[in-house]
Amino acid sequence: MAVPLRYNVRNLLVRRWTSAFSAGGIALVVAATMLLAALVGGLQRILVAAGEPRNLVVMRKGATNDGSSQLPREAAQILRAMPGVAAAPDGTPLASAQLVNQPFIRVAGGGRENVLVRGVEPVAFQVHSRVRLVEGRSFRPNLGEIVVGTGAARRYGLRVGGVADFGRRQWTVVGIFDSGGTAFDSEIWAHVNDVQDDTRRQGYSAVRLTVAPGVDPTEVIRRIDRDGRFTLEAKPETVYYEEQAETANALYVLVLTLAVVMATGATFGALNTMYAAVANRTAEIGTLRALGFGRGAILLSFLAESVLLAAGGLVAGLGLSLAAMLAVNTLLRGVAFSMMTFSVATVLLEPTWAGVWLGVGFAAAIGIVGGLGPAWRAANLRVIEALHRA
Amino acid sequence: MTWTGFVLRNLLRHPLRTALTTLSVALSIFLVCAVLTLPSALNALFERTSSKARISVHHEAGLTYWLPLSYVQRVKAIPGVAAVNQFSWFGGIYDEPKNMFPNFAIDPETVAGVWPDYGIAPEALERFRRIRNGALVGEETFRRFGWHVGQEVTLRGTVFPVDLSLQIVGVIPAATGNPVMLWFNRKYLEEAMAPRGGMRLVGMLWLRAERPEDVDGILRTVDTMFRNAEAEVTAETEQAFFASFLSSFQGLMRLILAVGVLVVGAVVLIAANTAAMGVRERIPEIAILKSLGFRRRPILGALLAESTLVGLVGGVLGAGAAYGILTALAAAGKTGGNNFLGPLSGFRMSPEVALQGVAVAVVVGFVSGAVPAWNGARLDVVAALRKLF
Repeated sequence: MAVPLRYNVRNLLVRRWTSAFSAGGIALVVAATMLLAALVGGLQRILVAAGEPRNLVVMRKGATNDGSSQLPREAAQILRAMPGVAAAPDGTPLASAQLVNQPFIRVAGGGRENVLVRGVEPVAFQVHSRVRLVEGRSFRPNLGEIVVGTGAARRYGLRVGGVADFGRRQWTVVGIFDSGGTAFDSEIWAHVNDVQDDTRRQGYSAVRLTVAPGVDPTEVIRRIDRDGRFTLEAKPETVYYEEQAETANALYVLVLTLAVVMATGATFGALNTMYAAVANRTAEIGTLRALGFGRGAILLSFLAESVLLAAGGLVAGLGLSLAAMLAVNTLLRGVAFSMMTFSVATVLLEPTWAGVWLGVGFAAAIGIVGGLGPAWRAANLRVIEALHRA
Repeated sequence: MTWTGFVLRNLLRHPLRTALTTLSVALSIFLVCAVLTLPSALNALFERTSSKARISVHHEAGLTYWLPLSYVQRVKAIPGVAAVNQFSWFGGIYDEPKNMFPNFAIDPETVAGVWPDYGIAPEALERFRRIRNGALVGEETFRRFGWHVGQEVTLRGTVFPVDLSLQIVGVIPAATGNPVMLWFNRKYLEEAMAPRGGMRLVGMLWLRAERPEDVDGILRTVDTMFRNAEAEVTAETEQAFFASFLSSFQGLMRLILAVGVLVVGAVVLIAANTAAMGVRERIPEIAILKSLGFRRRPILGALLAESTLVGLVGGVLGAGAAYGILTALAAAGKTGGNNFLGPLSGFRMSPEVALQGVAVAVVVGFVSGAVPAWNGARLDVVAALRKLF
């Protein structure tokens, strides 16, 4: 017969401060793990979600990102005419030549940082199908008009009708766009002519193109790679952004190491609590055994108590981390990240299932490992000696 | 029995419990040291690279906007300027795209004039001036690729439409705070670009004032000199330049600190729990001690000393392990080459961080013992003894 679970709940409540402290330790471990996982998750999400499977990024061979690539005008012409490129209903090829620039911009709170300004042609809004205007209108060429991502608008305090100061001139904000939480949200878009004029550069950084329906993207990639006139390199947009996100994978290792070490520390704490619980209840355990509860029942009961403790910590930790994420996202407006391109992207913390499972896994491990030794000791107490204490 | 002996005996009463608590303090302090290394490395980098006499002059609009080459001569003529050098971002790739490191075309003649504090070997500087395609390489990059002086390496251009074959002529010591960049002769790039229309721009200028007190005057002169010119510039001290460059890391730093606080909070709870258990179990003893005439203070002191000692030992263990492991990793070159950390990729844990870790541990021990010890010392003797008998 099993010892009723209520016995454990009552016991945890009787020594409520000890229980609260142990659970609190576990909660903080879970919260820290979740918080870091949320950061990594948010970083990966804004990058990975930016890529579309039917889109290709064409850069100069060897360039790691479009901020450090240069293409001559003629290369863009060839790519527009390349077979296998999709076309808009009006016949415009869905090939968006872009010039990426990273000027200084003043941050609302003071100081300056690099912002990513993407000079594009109107076709860009069709190539990047997730990007859509949520306010105002699109830019017209040669007028210094810009549309601003929602993240950038928040960070630099820009709104439709206002002006932005960067580069060699003042720009008029004519629209706000949203890309569904991807890296584009931290960018400013202008007509490519304006960006070429501002940077005094002739060509482009890269071309983003959509592969026509029914055409195999690898076919188009091979065609671009084989073209000998310019040393170009094409890759699927999803791969491009995965490569950008690779740096975040290094962070995952960091998060895991941190979480494992913290969880080990919390396990020691749980062991202490449970050993003390066993020692204090020696007489009780003896009584239970004398009443006919077997060794297995005692073992399970103490294990259950430890797991209950950990479960309490888990719930508190999840709550705490969600509150912390909310605080970071609203009060600090996310975590600003300077990535490989040197311009700043804002990452909103987002609870990830990976983080939740990590927290659950660690809480379970702490509960079980922290309870097993003490439960074993409890199960193997000599009944007579234990009863002597009573 | 002495007071110290009393404290030690009490700690050894539950050896397993004391060991577990000490270890969990040690693990937390290990983590705290590891996470604090990043912000501290940032500060160290900042201080190392910040010469008081060095000034950066770049386009007002950003580092992607280049300046006319003629600015070099104009700035050189300003009174008080000891030497002028320049950075032009080449953005070359060595071997594989992921091997990214900053590489700049510079002027070999004035390296010693602008960066006299860098401690680059005079023979290396001499070779750099003499050999047309010579390159000076930061120590970390040099070691990362296992290069040797005299080796020829090819940088593939991604911004410039040319590939450059460079000969390594020397090393920029890591102590400069610039352990990853590569410098090569601007003339060599100009020659390579000659068939493609040449190169008449420069990325940014670095100049050194003869005396630190001249700096303000030079900053003002540069500002007025290029006001309303074809390219307006910002002149600022090296310190100000790096401060704004690194400010984008602040969000990450805050988050790291928050995690550090959570870790410390967790261990305070764990240690406080242990201390409270210890006091609770010893209520009868404390009551007897008090009835024998021991006053509050020695009892409080003994209990506090117990938890503080656990903190101290745990802290020394944790900080020592963190220092050992991170130093070993840095020596093995495992911390370098991470693009994500950018200029921090070569971080090392400083002894100060280890000391801070130990200090945090002592505070954790003290705080975790405070409330239980206070309760223990305030114990009502009569009530406690009644429970006992």
